[in-house]
Parts: sequence; structure tokens; C-alpha cells
Amino acid sequence: MTAVVDLPVAERRPRNRSSAIWAAFAVPGVGWLIAFFVVSVYAVTAVAFGAVDPLLKTAQPQWNPFAWDFDAMSRIVDRVLHGDLGQVFARTGAYIALALGGCILIGYPVAYFAARVVKRRRGLLMAALVLPFWISYLMRMLAWTNLLQPDGYVNKVLRFLHLMDEPRNWLNGDSYTVVIGLIYGYVPFFILPLFASLERLDGRLIEAGRDLGASAFQTFRRVTLPLSVPGLMAASVITILPMAGDYYTNTYLTSGSPKTTMVGNQIEFFLQRSSQPQSGASLVLLLMACLFVLMMYYLVITIRQQRAAER
Amino acid sequence: MKPTTTRRVAKRRFPTLAVLTWLYVLWSLLPVLIAARISLNDGRSRSTFQPMSFRWYWGDHQSSVWYDDSLQTSMANTVKLALLCMLIATPLGVAMAIGLQRWRGRISNAANGLMLLPIVTPEIVFGVAFFFVFSQVYTGFPSGLTRMLLGHITFTLSFVVVIVRARLAAIGTQYEEAARDLGASRLQAIRLVLLPLLAPAIFASVMVVFATSVDDFVISSFLSSGAATETVPIKIYSGARAGSTPALNALATVMLVLTLLAVTLAACLARWANKRGGSASGATAGFAGLTG
Amino acid sequence: MRSSRRDFLARSAQLGVALGAGVPLLQSCADNGKKSVNNKTIADGLEPEKGPLRIVNYDSYVNPDVLADFEAKYGVKTELTTIFSDTEVVTKIASGAIKVDVQHSMANTSIGNMIAGGLLQPLNKSYIPNFANVISNFNDPFYDPGAKYSVPYTFFGTGIGYRTDRIDPADVEAQGWDTIWNATDFAGEVSVLDDEREALVMAMMRRGLFDVNTVDPEVINQALADITELIDLVSVKVNIEAYKDIPEGTTSIAQTWSADLIASAAGYLPEGVSNDVLGFWHPPAGEYVVTNDSMGVLADAEHPVLAHLYLNYLLDNDVSEKNFTWVGYLPALSKLDADYLINAGYVPEHLRNCVPTQEEIDNGLVFKQLDVDGEALYEEAWSKFNAGG
Repeated sequence: MTAVVDLPVAERRPRNRSSAIWAAFAVPGVGWLIAFFVVSVYAVTAVAFGAVDPLLKTAQPQWNPFAWDFDAMSRIVDRVLHGDLGQVFARTGAYIALALGGCILIGYPVAYFAARVVKRRRGLLMAALVLPFWISYLMRMLAWTNLLQPDGYVNKVLRFLHLMDEPRNWLNGDSYTVVIGLIYGYVPFFILPLFASLERLDGRLIEAGRDLGASAFQTFRRVTLPLSVPGLMAASVITILPMAGDYYTNTYLTSGSPKTTMVGNQIEFFLQRSSQPQSGASLVLLLMACLFVLMMYYLVITIRQQRAAER
Repeated sequence: MKPTTTRRVAKRRFPTLAVLTWLYVLWSLLPVLIAARISLNDGRSRSTFQPMSFRWYWGDHQSSVWYDDSLQTSMANTVKLALLCMLIATPLGVAMAIGLQRWRGRISNAANGLMLLPIVTPEIVFGVAFFFVFSQVYTGFPSGLTRMLLGHITFTLSFVVVIVRARLAAIGTQYEEAARDLGASRLQAIRLVLLPLLAPAIFASVMVVFATSVDDFVISSFLSSGAATETVPIKIYSGARAGSTPALNALATVMLVLTLLAVTLAACLARWANKRGGSASGATAGFAGLTG
Repeated sequence: MRSSRRDFLARSAQLGVALGAGVPLLQSCADNGKKSVNNKTIADGLEPEKGPLRIVNYDSYVNPDVLADFEAKYGVKTELTTIFSDTEVVTKIASGAIKVDVQHSMANTSIGNMIAGGLLQPLNKSYIPNFANVISNFNDPFYDPGAKYSVPYTFFGTGIGYRTDRIDPADVEAQGWDTIWNATDFAGEVSVLDDEREALVMAMMRRGLFDVNTVDPEVINQALADITELIDLVSVKVNIEAYKDIPEGTTSIAQTWSADLIASAAGYLPEGVSNDVLGFWHPPAGEYVVTNDSMGVLADAEHPVLAHLYLNYLLDNDVSEKNFTWVGYLPALSKLDADYLINAGYVPEHLRNCVPTQEEIDNGLVFKQLDVDGEALYEEAWSKFNAGG
């Protein structure tokens, strides 16, 4: 073999070897993701298009795509397009949109202030912003339910301020309780990436804007805001994803009202409390598809940025 | 001169912003403080303050945190999972990040896309997928903590990759090349030059992985195999739906204090190890990675 | 393909036979799969294992003191896993996702399947002498002929729990199930049971249909339409927490299990509130659903002897009494009848109707297990109801 080796090959060789080294670095992780992510998602697909054990109601996945049974999926799709499940998807979307709006309204000014303005007590503010990240989400929801009880402090304060005569039960299944709960739960996750991106924003650009005669608002609208779009996007992705699959926040806050059911609740029902895992798995696939389309933009941009960085 | 101007501007221009920010801080933390105070209630109320005692910590011989084994088990499980997840997911992710950043070719492009998919997949999909894959395919893995750990690692792996890659892109290859020119082997260059430069990103990853694992409810609850494998979030969730006591608040408070101690300790260690002063707050640095 | 189809047929056949209560006959056709009826009873006179005894149960459904007493008596630990629904336990046990020794609260609707699927082991009654204490109705129950695989834990009826200080008992008596549909003044304070069959059957009974095991799609759809009305009429909540929500006052009227009110009176009233505020209504005997939960030992229990001893322990009159004082759900033991429980001060006289009488048990309507298609009808309806509003 060695005799045949000619110059171009010899030149290529180091590149090949280095490529092999880098591949070797990546292989364990890639292998892991294939074994536990790709195969797992395929398992969901196989369950969605499979059967169910008539006795014990366990899923009997169909691994062979040619033998897939689309019954459950078509029933679910039909209900999404023409009926009640469409309403659930719409409600989930509306909750996410409202909560995201709330996160932006609260989170942007806070992140902006922390990243660009505050000078004194900066460390304290940073600690305060990071702190909720270290407090379990469910503990924060627990705290919230403590406050919203009929004899809890929210009612007490509102009555003390004469904003309300009768104590009301906030946990009775109203949409706004859920939306406020979602905002409360996810806004810390929204602020941190936005903060990180605003902090790295080049201050000279803003100064330039001011020097060129733009007002503070104009500078914000024309310079700061466009520059913070990547941060806003990352922050939105980070908050939208868990909200889309959320089933615990509304169960926790509304004692199970049909008016506040989200997609996650239906998935949870079909998978944990029914004899139809196929329907649950079908819903999971639908949810994944919806989110994938939504996230496509983010994915494309991220990949493009990576490419650019590699060059 | 300049900083003074900025500060003056800041002071003059943004009083509303400052008020709003500090109000937000109050809003985000006060409920937690109140919940912690409720854990000190002498009675069973979960909504109002009662005279203080440590009944739900150790006073009550049946359901206080100290006497209720299941609460302690849940805490031990949570910490165990988070530590192991951190120890496995971080090196795996760092290696994957270095590999993907440098490796060229068609396969590597596919691997890149694959790595990003978990980031745009909601936790409930992970939970469901793991539930099926372990009950149908990988039945050999013992149910309970082992499966939960594998789930947590898979869920957090991509976060590590994204965070580390952002830093890798910022560093570039010139330092390694310089080291190579000075005679270091490729692995030496990575070990002696690249890894130290990556330290802040690795620290950030560790923090994010730890926090994500400690906080995880969905994956754990789909994979938990019963009382011996429940975690604190599972306890809080199942407890609050039933008629619960402030012991739940006490459990959450203990967990909170433990996490904060661990994080502070880690931050101090990191600062001590890296005198040049890396980012003290791992979480923010971590999220910086996600913003591309 | 072929083998899985054969599997399916065999499973369906088993199901058919199990429904026909011919469980022991199954042994012959159980040679194809890993799941088949389990016939291996443990031998007499074995020493109990060292534990820990693993139990799966609903939350707050066994007195922690009773568990502690059992631990002390046998020098073992217990581990209690809590779950939300019966279907969830069966699937999780069947798929190996949870491993336990004792299923503490099996529903009538799943015991047959669990037996046919080989999840339960036949009990060796020599370890369970206290079975003699059981009310005779449960000696030979429809879901487990001869009580070979299960012993009864608690029983209860389904009715309406309400606040007597907010709604007149005479009104509830006059309106029956319509009380819930007419409760427009109590919007947001009305709940129905988070159980597809209980809630849908309630709507059927309101229309005078008492076939509680119907799989007629038309009947089920009408029931769905009826309960869906409740979303707009009374902002109905769907949960099984009326036992604390009624005494705490966040719920005024609820479809609930009779025993919930006893539990409410025993432990969930705020200070200074008398148990007079609690009321319960149920339909007359013959139209009254009386259900029971049962305990069983799993086929792959690691501690089967200990599990048997646990079942026996819970059927002890004194232990059961102690458990009742905390749980509020009625023990299926003949000694602990209504008079006994009222005299002992556990049940307020005005909640006597929370304890189903012998006549009500004898003529009680029962939920039977449906085949997978029948179940799907109810589940589909339930999913639609929960999506609505």
C-alpha cells in the first residue's frame, strides 16, 4: 500500500487525520443524542402509529413504518381541525402569546436597566435577577398558591387598599390566573438571556446614534431595539418551549377547570390516565411539529451564525 | 469624565425604569420569602402567618422534614441526580462542542442540526419519549434513578454544547495554533490552552445543567418509579394537590437554602480559581451562549 | 406481525373470559406470552421478608400512623408511592415503570384486567385470617370471584357534597342531580369528580338512565353534551379534592364520594367552623352507585409474605378503625358499621347517610370493566369535555 501513496494524498492526510480527531471528540455526544433523542422520538412515533394492549392498556409500538396504523392520528387531527382540540391549541397559543407579551413588557425594561443603566448596587441587582433561576419553578408556584388562597395575602392587601370588598378565590379556574402564573414562572428565564445580549451590545453604536442627532427614543427604536433582536429571540424560545408543554401550572393554579386546559393537559390525560397512549403520542407529534415550524427561523439563524463564526 | 456623564444621564433619565426594576425584584422574590415564612408556621395554615416554630422542620414527629423519610429521600435524589448529570453531561457536551466546531464535512452538518433539535423540543416531549423508549426499547436500564439520570443528561447535553460553542467561536483557533507552532501536540494544545480558555463557559454550563436538573419536574415524573425515586419537584407537585401542610414549604425552603449555598460556594471557588475574574454569575454567562 | 396478531387475539380471548369471570380457566391458553394469569400462591407459614414493603396508593389514602405502627410491629420500612389515577397505576405496573409489592387501592374496573394480565398473585388466605372481618358482600365480589386476588379496602357511594350554610338541604333533596346544573349562583364553586365514568354517568342518571356500564355512543354523547353545559352554567371545576375544598369553603357543591364528607368533618374544617356546614345527598337505593377499592399483592412482588401480612393488618378491626379516623373512607369490615362509627364519634349523626346501608350496598349500582373500545368512548368524551369552555 505505502508504495502507491503519492504526494496529493500525503498532503491530504493530515487534514483527514485532524478531521478524524475532531470527529472522535464529537462522536460520544452525537452517539448519545442518537441513542436517547432520535430513538426516543422514533419510539413516540411508533407508539402513535401502533396499537394498544387490550388488557393492560400499555402501548404496543409499531416499529415498521409500512405497518403503521393512522387511526389515532387521524382522529386527533380531525379534532384539531374541526373541533375541541383546535380550541385547546388556540387557547395554548393565546396563553403563550399573552404570557410572552407580559414577559416582554416586564422583562425588557428590567433587562435593559440591569444591563445598560444601573451602576450602583449592580451586584445586588444581578444577584436578585439570577436568584429565581435557582429557586425551583414549582416552589415559586407553591408560593403563588399560598398567596392566592381566599384568606391569603393577595386578598388581604386588595381589601386593605379597598380595591375589593369581598375576598375572592383566585384559584377557581380563570384564564388570567394561569397567564399571570405563567408570567411569574417564566419571566426570570426571559430576563437572563436578554440581559446577556443587551450587556454585550456595543455602546458606541448608541452613542453614534445620539451624536447624529437622534432623540433618546429614536436611538432606542432605531439602534438598541434592532440590536437586541437576537437576545429577544433567544429569550422567547427559552420561555415559549416550556409553556407549550406546560400542564402543571394550570393544574396547580385552577383546581382543574376545563376552561384553562392546555395541550400539555390533554397529552398528560391520554398518556397517564387513559387507555389510549396512541392518541397521546399523536398529540405529542403534532405539538412537536407546530413548535418545529415556529422554531425554524431561530434554528436557521443560529446555524447561519455558527457557520459565520467558523469562517 | 465619561462615566460620570453616563451616570448622571442614567440618574436623570431612568427613574421609572429603576422603580420598575426594583418592583419586579420585589414581586419575584417576595412570594418566595412569604412561602419560607409560612414554613415556620406553628399551625397547618398555608396562607397566613402563624406563630413561629420549627414544627414542620423537626418538631412534628410524623410529617416534618426531619422525620418524614420520603421528604429526605426526595432531597437526596434531587441532589444526586443533579450532581451526576453535571459530571456526565458537561464533559460529554464540551467534547461534542469542540468536535462539532472543528469537524468539517457532510456528517458534521447533520450532527450540527441534530444537536440543535433538543433545544427546540419542549420538556414534555422528552418526558413522553423517554417513558416509551425505556419501557419499550431500553428495558435493560433499571427503572427509576438510572433512567431519570439518562433523561436529564440527554435534556441538558445540548445546552452545554451551545454555551461552549459560543465561547469557542469567540476564542478562535489562533491560540491553539500558536501552541502547536511552539511544539505542543494537538491534545496538549487542547488541554493546556483551549480548556483553560473555555473555563468560564464550562463553569456556566455546569451551573445551567445543575439548575435545570434540580428544577426538572416533567422528565422526572414520567420516569420516576415510585416513592424511592421521587424528587423534590415531584413532591411539591403531588403534595400541593392534596391537602398538604407547611412541611411542603419547609422542604422547598431547605432545598432552596442548600442550592443557594452550593451555588455561592461554586461561584467563590470559580472566582478563587480564576483570579482574572471570570463571570461570577454562571447562569447569565450560560444564557449568553444561547443568544448566539 | 403474525405473532403480534396472535398475541392480540389471545389477549382478547383472555379478556373475554375474564369478563365472564372464568379466570381460572385461562391457564390452558396462557402459554403464548409473558403476561398470563398468575396462579402461584406463596406457601404457608413463610417468614416475612426484611422489607422495605413498597406500596402504591392515592395521596392521603392511608393513615401515616398506621404505616408507622406496621413498621414498628414487623421491624420493616414502608415506601409509599402516590399516583393520581387507577389507569396510571395499571399501565405503569404493566410496563415495569413502577415496582411495588402492594397495590393499595385497586378499582373494580381494573382488577379483572390485572388478574387476566398476570399482574396480581392469588392470595394465600392463611396469612389473612382477618378476612373473616370483611362485610359479606365483598367475600365473593363480581370483579374477583371468590376474592382470590384481592381483599376490599374501603367502600363509598357517589352523591353530592354541599355546604348546608349556603344551600338548603331540602332544595338538594328536591332537585337531586339537577342541583349541580341549577347551581348558577355558585359559579366557580361547583366541582365534579375527575373521573370520566363517574361524571358522565352522573349526567345519564340525571336523565333517568341507570345502565352505568353502557357503551352506547349516543347515550355517552348526550352525557357529554350535558356535562359540557356545566362549564358555562357554573364554571365547573374537575377534581377529586372536594374533601378539603368543601370544608375550606372554596367549593360549595360537588359531585363527590360519600366518604369525602366524613374526611372533611374529621380533619379539614378551619378552626371555629362546625361540621354542621357539611351536607351529603345521594340517590335512593337501586339508583345509587356504591363502589369499593381493593388491595392486592403484585405477581412480581419482592416481599410477598410481608405484603400478605400488610393486607391482614389493614383488615384488623382496630387498625382499620385507626385508619378510618384519618382517611374517612369506610372500612369494608362488618364490625365498623354506621352505628359503631357514629357512637364512637367519628361520624356526625347528620352525615349518617355517608355510610351506605346494607340495603344500599345490596342494591348498589357498580362500575364494571369495559373493553378497550368502550373505555375509549368514555375517554374521548372526557377529553372533549376537558377541552371545552
